[in-house]
Amino acid sequence: MPSRSNNVGLMCGFVLLAIGIRAQPLDAVEYLPGIAWPEPAVITPGENNADAPSDAIVLFDGKDLSAWNDDGSWQVENGVMIVGTTSLLTKRKFGDCQVHVEWSMPNPPRGNGQDRGNSGIFFMPHYEEARQLYWKYEIQILDSYDNRTYFDGQAAAVYKQSPPLVNAMRRPGQWNTYDIVFIAPRFAEDGTLNSPAYVTLVHNGVLVHNHYEMSGPTSWTAPPAYSKHAERLPLGLQNHGHKVRFRNIWVREITPIVGEPASAPMLRKGNKRWPVGAKEPAGAGE
Amino acid sequence: MSFSFRLTNAIAAASIVLTSIESIMANEEYLPGIKWPEPQIVTPGEQNSQPPSDAVVLFDGKDLSQWENGDAWPIKDGIAYAGKGFIISKPKFGDCQVHLEWSAPTPAEGKGQQRGNSGLFLMGKYEIQILDSYDNKTYFDGQAGAIYKQTPPMVNVTRPPGEWNTYDVFWTRPRFGDDGKLTSPAYITAIHNGVLILNHFELQGDTPYSRPPAYEAHEDRRPISIQDHGNPVRFRNIWVREIQPLVGERASEPMLKDHSNGTTRPASEKYGEINAVSK
Repeated sequence: MPSRSNNVGLMCGFVLLAIGIRAQPLDAVEYLPGIAWPEPAVITPGENNADAPSDAIVLFDGKDLSAWNDDGSWQVENGVMIVGTTSLLTKRKFGDCQVHVEWSMPNPPRGNGQDRGNSGIFFMPHYEEARQLYWKYEIQILDSYDNRTYFDGQAAAVYKQSPPLVNAMRRPGQWNTYDIVFIAPRFAEDGTLNSPAYVTLVHNGVLVHNHYEMSGPTSWTAPPAYSKHAERLPLGLQNHGHKVRFRNIWVREITPIVGEPASAPMLRKGNKRWPVGAKEPAGAGE
Repeated sequence: MSFSFRLTNAIAAASIVLTSIESIMANEEYLPGIKWPEPQIVTPGEQNSQPPSDAVVLFDGKDLSQWENGDAWPIKDGIAYAGKGFIISKPKFGDCQVHLEWSAPTPAEGKGQQRGNSGLFLMGKYEIQILDSYDNKTYFDGQAGAIYKQTPPMVNVTRPPGEWNTYDVFWTRPRFGDDGKLTSPAYITAIHNGVLILNHFELQGDTPYSRPPAYEAHEDRRPISIQDHGNPVRFRNIWVREIQPLVGERASEPMLKDHSNGTTRPASEKYGEINAVSK
């Protein structure tokens, strides 16, 4: 019967899979890539995934604003920081980084569209001439729970470039999390762009941007266009006139792991080794 | 003071705030001219590790009915133990987000690749290694979080045996042309216990033990599978979300809107040629 033979075939498949990968008998051929890798640094994760791991720089743990250049207008109450009358920049500077930040909307909600719970997290903001603050790369923070606005301006949007893939917003009063991977743009000496900025964003555990390529800075007034800036710049939190609350903010620098070719890719069987593409030598090996 | 006077003050104060924001932003607003579909509303899990409303739950502690060969893996107290043979998901996935929790056997037994070995195979072909890499050295491109024999994880975040590890994986499948040739490789981003370990890593191909990685054309959607490597690695809370791109359409050229009089003009008049693109 067909269904039975299918089952037999399936079973054989499982057995082969199990033998092929599980047992790896001594006479199995092993592929050796020939890359010498540095040992990955050992990091102790937070007790909960939202807690700062051992290599994180904590920007706010509920106590004070000492990691920020603050003008006294932001308040810390009950372990939460509340938006003041200016935007806030970190003292430290970052390039490629992973950021965890938790935020909560004013409850009950007030206002509509962009005028409800508006703030933002800015990558690489900096001052240029005339003390004009250039915000650079914004991930929108907004109360997008049951509050419609232009889609590329709702919570988790890359502002005026792309809406999030989905709207994973929690209600006002509840806590939202952003886990962000930001890859800074690269510029040549002469200022031309070598590589754009990329962002991956997880909102409340849900992927909403996957390695999104930014077209340039995110401005209210101007189309995105890259212009050369430093490799490391602060992070910023926006004041947009709404009492958005923040807690548990930490950053990890992203350091790629780079291997070096140490030998040609080889195959091994017992004591025998030979280059990939060559014929297996005769005999039992050394 | 009268209520209305206080109200007037409040409005005045509010308008100062708004004015200061507007003055920073000037009057002309950039309008990209892209028409986007509305992002679908997804209710996140109560905890971030719990399945959001659009997830396909593959194991919630009850049974492995969503898996081929699920009967071969014992379940005790809501936990599945690696048993005989791979388990292979019945649903198939292309680009997806996978959440999976695993715990290495305790007490730790064996060394190197023989300690708490299993693996999550995207599309049944591309392995992110599961191994007890807590205080257990092996080849780095074979430790927990490695793309097997292609790259180590950027850092080692493995929790001690008996504790629960989480993988959050963002998978971009490879693309093949009609002629079977690779048109776009697979990419993976992975977060291990809240820590980024792989960022948009470009896979060289599949991840076998016995030969170099290679791409061979396959279906757009395939099951995920979990490896039996002879160690009773434990699993719980497995769910997958399909990743659908959000595609905008150009509705007009980029414009500037003057909010003082409501007029618009092409942004190119002020900024020259615009290279903003919708992605």
